[in-house]
Amino acid sequence: METSASLRHALLTDRERTLTLIYQRTFPMVRHYVQQHGGAATDAKDVFHDALVIFYEKAVDESFVLSASVSTYLVGIGRNLWRRELSRRQRLPLTGLTDEHAQLEAEEAEPVGETLAVLDYVARLGERCQSVLLAFYYFRQPLEQIASTHHYQSVRSATVQKFKCLERLRKSVRAALAAAVTV
Amino acid sequence: MRPTLERLRFIEHHLLGQPSAAEAADWRAQQLTDPALAADAETQRQLYQALHQAGRAQLRRELDLIHARLHAASRRRGWLQAATNSLRRLLRRPRP
Repeated sequence: METSASLRHALLTDRERTLTLIYQRTFPMVRHYVQQHGGAATDAKDVFHDALVIFYEKAVDESFVLSASVSTYLVGIGRNLWRRELSRRQRLPLTGLTDEHAQLEAEEAEPVGETLAVLDYVARLGERCQSVLLAFYYFRQPLEQIASTHHYQSVRSATVQKFKCLERLRKSVRAALAAAVTV
Repeated sequence: MRPTLERLRFIEHHLLGQPSAAEAADWRAQQLTDPALAADAETQRQLYQALHQAGRAQLRRELDLIHARLHAASRRRGWLQAATNSLRRLLRRPRP
């Protein structure tokens, strides 16, 4: 059985391959469950992607402890998400939600005006800056790996570059805010 | 690093790191002497939130690609299986 550390390492060093393996192994189980409970294949895909997003964010956190197999974990999340979706469709009170799903729901609901505006500026960053910032702040790759994949000479260079990119993002956001105030 | 980058690092450590008790006390003291610190920290918090949302959107795009690739592969396997089914039946037929 995979340990939390080996899973985390695989996700950080070869995300595409690791996610593909997990997908091949687990999606048929989630699809079976959703289709057995009134959903279509597209519903199964949506539910599975939501479950994988939750799973990725948990699994790359150093405090994460994998207490069951990856498949069991993902099928569990998928079932709960599908029950929630069914409840929403039937306009019934939510049932069977775990803390994780309530948390995702809250976070997805969170991007209000400010975050959406800043998101636009993230999209306008150059490809390299965007890649460095997302690798570090979302995908949680260590700076050693970022330095290597982005061809920086050292971890220090990668660190400086990361802060330069963050500064560029902050400057463009501030400039837009200042322009909005003067209008 | 330049002072502006050092300031970003200082705020990042406070927002995302695990500042010690002494560092937390230093943060509070700096806020008294630097009125812009709280506003800068709030801006930086918004940047992290937007990067989180952007990362999540990228992960979803990657999952869509994996899904499309696996779906195409399984369709190819299905077509090949259908095309060779009659041959398989023929080979399985007991010889007289």
